[in-house]
Amino acid sequence: MLFITAMLMALSGYAQTHRVTGTIISAEDSKPIPGVSIKVKGAKTGMVSAIDGTYSIMAAPNDVLIFSFISYATQQINIGKNTSIDVKLTQSISNLNEVVVTGYAKTKRKDVTGSISSIKGDDLRQTQPTTFDQALQGKVAGVVVQQISGQPGGGVSIQIRGISSITGSNSPLYVIDGIIIPPVGDPGNGGNPLNAINPADVESIDVLKDASATAIYGSQATNGVIVITTKRGKAGAPTVSYDFYAGDQEIPKKLPTMNLQQYATFMDARAVVWGFGARPEFANPQYLGKGTNWQNELFRRAPMNNHTITVSGGDDKTQYLLAGSYFDQQGIALGSDFKRYSVRLNLDNRTTKWLKVGTSLQLAHIDQNQNTSADGIISSALSLTPDVPVRNPDGSWGGVTTTDGWVPGIVNPVAIAQLSTNVATRNQVFGNAYAEIQFTRDLSLRTEVSGNFDFGTADNFTPSYTFGKVVNGVNSGSSNSSQSIYTVLRNFFTYNHDFGKLKFNALAGHEAQSNRYENVGAGRTNFPSNNVQAISAGDPTSATNSGSYGLGSSSESYFGRINLSWNDKYLITGNIRDDGSSNFPTNNRWSTTYSGAFAWKINNEAFLKNVKSINEMKLRVGYGLTNNQNIPGNTYVTQLTTEANGLSGIAQFQSNLPNPKVTWEKTNYYDAGLDGTFFNGRLSFSLDVYDRETKALLLAEPLPMYSGSSTGYSPGSMGAPYANVGSMRNTGFDLQINSTNINSKNFTWKSGFTISRNVNKVLSLGNGGSDASLTQKSYANNEIVEKTMVGQPIGEFYGYVFDGLFAKPQDFQTHALPVDQSGKPYPISAAGGGIWYGDRMFKDLNGDGIIDSRDQTFLGSPIPKFQYGISNSFFYKNFDLNIFFSGDYGNKIFNQMAIGQTNPTNSTAYFSSTLGYARLGLVNPSGSASDVNNVYVINPNTTIVGLRNDATNDNTRSSNIYIQDGSFLKCKNITLGYRLPENILSKIYLHSIRVYATVTNVFTITKYVGMDPEIGSWNPLQAGWDAGYYPQPRVYTIGAVITFNK
Amino acid sequence: MKPINKIVIILLLGAAIAGCKKSFLDRPSTSQISSNNFYQAPGDLRLATANLYGGAPWWQFQQPWLLLGDGLPGTAFYTYYGDLMQLYTRTITGQNTIVSSGWTGLYNVIAQCNMVINAINQQASPSIPAIKKNQAIAEARFIRAVAYYHLAVYWGAVPIIEDNTKLVNDPLLYRNTISDVYKFLANDLTYAAQNLPATDQPGRVTTWSAQGLLGKVYLTMSGLGKNGTRDQALLDSAKKYAGNVCKNSGLELFHSYYDLFKTQNNDNPESLFALQWAPGVGYGFGNVLPTYYSPSSTINAQKSGGWQPLQPTWDLYQMYSDKDTVRRKASIMLTGDHYSELDAADGGYTATGISMKKHIVGNEKDNNSPTMTMWSSPEHFAMLRLADIYLVYAEAILGNNASTADGDALLYFNKVRTRAGVDPVTILDFDTILKERRVELAFEGQYWIDLVRLSYYQPAKAVGILNSQARYTFTYDPVSHVAKQDTTAAVPTLPATISSFTLPIPAAEVTADPKLAQPPVPYYK
Repeated sequence: MLFITAMLMALSGYAQTHRVTGTIISAEDSKPIPGVSIKVKGAKTGMVSAIDGTYSIMAAPNDVLIFSFISYATQQINIGKNTSIDVKLTQSISNLNEVVVTGYAKTKRKDVTGSISSIKGDDLRQTQPTTFDQALQGKVAGVVVQQISGQPGGGVSIQIRGISSITGSNSPLYVIDGIIIPPVGDPGNGGNPLNAINPADVESIDVLKDASATAIYGSQATNGVIVITTKRGKAGAPTVSYDFYAGDQEIPKKLPTMNLQQYATFMDARAVVWGFGARPEFANPQYLGKGTNWQNELFRRAPMNNHTITVSGGDDKTQYLLAGSYFDQQGIALGSDFKRYSVRLNLDNRTTKWLKVGTSLQLAHIDQNQNTSADGIISSALSLTPDVPVRNPDGSWGGVTTTDGWVPGIVNPVAIAQLSTNVATRNQVFGNAYAEIQFTRDLSLRTEVSGNFDFGTADNFTPSYTFGKVVNGVNSGSSNSSQSIYTVLRNFFTYNHDFGKLKFNALAGHEAQSNRYENVGAGRTNFPSNNVQAISAGDPTSATNSGSYGLGSSSESYFGRINLSWNDKYLITGNIRDDGSSNFPTNNRWSTTYSGAFAWKINNEAFLKNVKSINEMKLRVGYGLTNNQNIPGNTYVTQLTTEANGLSGIAQFQSNLPNPKVTWEKTNYYDAGLDGTFFNGRLSFSLDVYDRETKALLLAEPLPMYSGSSTGYSPGSMGAPYANVGSMRNTGFDLQINSTNINSKNFTWKSGFTISRNVNKVLSLGNGGSDASLTQKSYANNEIVEKTMVGQPIGEFYGYVFDGLFAKPQDFQTHALPVDQSGKPYPISAAGGGIWYGDRMFKDLNGDGIIDSRDQTFLGSPIPKFQYGISNSFFYKNFDLNIFFSGDYGNKIFNQMAIGQTNPTNSTAYFSSTLGYARLGLVNPSGSASDVNNVYVINPNTTIVGLRNDATNDNTRSSNIYIQDGSFLKCKNITLGYRLPENILSKIYLHSIRVYATVTNVFTITKYVGMDPEIGSWNPLQAGWDAGYYPQPRVYTIGAVITFNK
Repeated sequence: MKPINKIVIILLLGAAIAGCKKSFLDRPSTSQISSNNFYQAPGDLRLATANLYGGAPWWQFQQPWLLLGDGLPGTAFYTYYGDLMQLYTRTITGQNTIVSSGWTGLYNVIAQCNMVINAINQQASPSIPAIKKNQAIAEARFIRAVAYYHLAVYWGAVPIIEDNTKLVNDPLLYRNTISDVYKFLANDLTYAAQNLPATDQPGRVTTWSAQGLLGKVYLTMSGLGKNGTRDQALLDSAKKYAGNVCKNSGLELFHSYYDLFKTQNNDNPESLFALQWAPGVGYGFGNVLPTYYSPSSTINAQKSGGWQPLQPTWDLYQMYSDKDTVRRKASIMLTGDHYSELDAADGGYTATGISMKKHIVGNEKDNNSPTMTMWSSPEHFAMLRLADIYLVYAEAILGNNASTADGDALLYFNKVRTRAGVDPVTILDFDTILKERRVELAFEGQYWIDLVRLSYYQPAKAVGILNSQARYTFTYDPVSHVAKQDTTAAVPTLPATISSFTLPIPAAEVTADPKLAQPPVPYYK
């Protein structure tokens, strides 16, 4: 019956056919597209466009021509009387045929049931990232990317849909070509394991967000999965491309600090109040110069450049891609450089009909100069006063020379950046090898062995030096060498069968992962010269060594998945995975993860089928239970560390407080999403709402100090116990919209917008009832400034509420005073031990008439209410322009630097705002300066305290003065590109050349007064703490991508 | 592909999966031992208890030991160190780092002791003889008592913790009453006195250490909650235990007060409990006292440090009689004093000002300790020594009497004096003993403890002592040998009250555990 109908149609069509010809070009670059399929609607066969994009087909006037090509939006055109139809195909933004990695398999985007966002390598490279993870910011809804340090090669923190765990790692799982990169605790200080990947090698990144998408990866994936696929060779003529850029980096903002005249004037005023400490050289500030601006000395314009050559190609048996790359970046702060040499080889070979083998291999060598972070150079530079010269007139290094005992000696950061050595090198080999056996048409087995082999060295040398009164009499050096080996063996079967309306796909496999590590270190002191730094040159009697080796954690897993599709309308996915982890005691070792999802392709229902403007409308719902094992090994027993001891040579220190009951953290994850694509892909959106509730939270539990344990650095304290403490909920949505606003012959304008909101709430902190809290102290005032409590979001700021300064006599009546240890208010007195004019007033929140710890309250959350990204791309003829913004709204930042540097009694450098200190005046100038009724503050609206040398009021206690609005809108990137015209290129045997110029971190709109409101943290209890970060540079780049073929 | 090949592949794969043995998930650390399998032989017990004598566990308390013990009672100060000046001027805030480091440090010690005690009880191999286990537990309980004693003296009511692992599930504690804290630590010491041997390797505590401290603790407890007079039964207990150490231990005072503090004489027989600091260790593990408090980097390891030279007060200096030169020179440097043993290679050191001498031991060559660094002085300073117990014994005999000429009291009191080269006394009263203790034990963290002991039953007198102190700097003319109190105004100091004798609990700790702000509860129900 079908056959006859088709015959009839064909015959009836044949009678009136005529030839239609034309050229098919790309809307983006107006270049011809070969290989486009051209079909008459309803016909069985069709044509393919030629190499120059031309086509020719026989059709009837009432026929419809369908033009389709992978990764372009399909077009349907009514022929009418036209004999020539030129077609411009638009690259589809949310292409439904695009392939998405779903974990051990690939699926077309239109058949995905989970919440997965993808980003193309080309989009990623727009921001010229040093490492690819930096480039995800603002590009994927629901993914929060924050730079922890602007240091070259420094890490970022990535969170997918909020914080589910307080263990410190909320990092997603990274899977690079099937190789799992184990998460690291603190990637901030240059130890970013992802910095070995050259962004130019990345083909695409898929972000797996909800449990139905991640469950197949099991317990490691509870914070989401980022799957990176590198480029592979394609069958065809070899292609050679050369990718080059060079950039110049600068610091976008410097903090306003006092210059020498201001500083001298200030110090003179303070000496008058203190009655001591006058500096004779400051007697006439007007004759002094500006002094040293230490930020100008520290920060520099720094170059960076990158060269990548890629050769790819192959035939139908073997495809290859070989890429070599060199990247060199100097840091904008002295003493920080990053160099990366990398080689990638990706090979695929169809050995026999039933066997396919291949490999993805990467070799990388990295040299990093880490002086900046190792020597605390930024904080030294911000602490040094302008009277200290970089170099003395005789050429020697400058330093603090004042003999006043209260002025701390601070190391000259410019000198130490040049004199000391902190060099880390890494040699990384990682890759996998696979074999895929096709047993039948439906059933295949894939075996993968993958590994990550990391070999590193760290060489440090601290010279002997004299910087004024800072003297280091004896030099010292150390060398460390370490290796870690991570291997995975994985086997899985895939079965596919098409039962007509029912399509069935199943996966089952086994995976075993294992870690090993080894490190040794050696140190000596007393080297004969600062220039001879080899360990063997040091004093042999001072030699120390250290080392450890052993087995890290291991895990073993069984997993399976079923995908069902009915009539291309209803999709069902089910996952199950059983994980065993060495991190838990024997009886808690195994845990099962499962998830299910359902998707309804509404556009394939009869009632929408004929609505042409809707290309896709898909509803997804999913639920999963995932588990987290992300704690160090062996925390369930007390571990004993060997330490030197004066009694017996060595002794066994108990280094952690164990918790034998520790078990898996569990997250219940609900997700619902709606995907839509309209007007032939010109508008698309993807909206997800989710609710994740994490129970039995795994946590390095910050107990009171009396527990003898600590989560931070505290000599002699044990490591905090890992415990299952309480539960937490993250709810929110993420929305991604892409549109092509204008699409004309010469001009195209596309926009992309992402927005996400995550609401975090602690539901319970199991231990200690509702009183329990997780707190963190700031080093700057030795006080708690963060408190996490039930009913509140994690990591909220906590402290006193500032209420002006004591400025007039009534203030002592209207405001409560702090109390001594017996609970008695301190006296109102200008003398030491009293509260006086110019001290800060705090709100007596509990109204008991005194200021004490019970008057603290929550001062805001570091978690933004919204995070968003806006991208606009314009194409005019051969030009393209891309502008990208990202921003946070509604979060607070703890400006930790301000505690010391706006405190006039401090003896390090000051922010300029400290000049606004409270100035005391006398009502009756001849009256007493200690009479409470005769004194007032001349500038009562300042927040900076008076000059009195007294800490009784504890003015620097944690208060909302230091908690500041962190909302910002940052223009991350502007790129202007130009593609050289074909007619020029063909004369010089080139395939394509694109040249471009880029500015990153162009400008930031924010109220925040610190260097940069974008502050990443790997520790959710210290999120939004600005401790003088290495700022992100502004970078001006020019570059070119040149492609040759044949 | 032949079917047989497929079968082979499947079998190989099956073998690979089965190859993951159960033990694949057992990943014990190879760098660290765990307590589960550590305690196999008596030697293991010794390695575990050695940890309690110094190094990391005691690291955070070593500076507070000196600064609280001698800064609070007006013995020493350093104007430019704000947190120390808070102690000295009685303007202590909850942010004071010396206070919080002292609190943390003592509880670190307690945690390590508790973990050792519980591990030996629960995990030690049955093959270890009970006497060895009991001895190791006794060492840990002795050291735990030292920590609780300091907590009780400085903070009064504090939480008592015996099993730190319980805090994982139940972290928030109330303070326990001060009398229960003393009762708890006296129980520890009683156990230690019964289970520690009479002699052991130098540096290890013996029954005499435990009995000596028990005597001192009973002496302290005898005044607790009393008004004017002390509890006679407790005084008798103090007398009994301190007297036992004096008469029956066979221990004698070291022959030279001056040489007592040299590292060459670490762990001499007079030392009843001294911290066992090792040289060559890094920050966080070693004795740092010279690095912070020495008057000059030139006499320190690798010519480093000397950041916060501790200055003795005029009030302390006045306690030394003219004849008391040995103790004076071993405790305080005066301008022009020559110390041939400090930086001996360069001809010794001549003091250019006034500063603390005790704990300043010279550089790595002076101590024949090549790995000594700024973070690791090899001095094993004593927290309890025999001379202290002699004076405790005399005070216990004096008891509630105004004065005594008891033969035993005079005998042991005068042993301390004659060793120092000063004349013996013929009658004892409280003030004589207090003064003697201050001079003998200057810069050993004791004077505050003595004043707190007095404040328990004679608060007015204790407060009066603080308020009448001459907290001035002074100068010394090396030519005329005249010391002169400085005429500049003393640092302004808040008047002492009875509450001055209790330190505030660190603010961060009260925020973390609001129950600490509640009234203390009994520990023994």
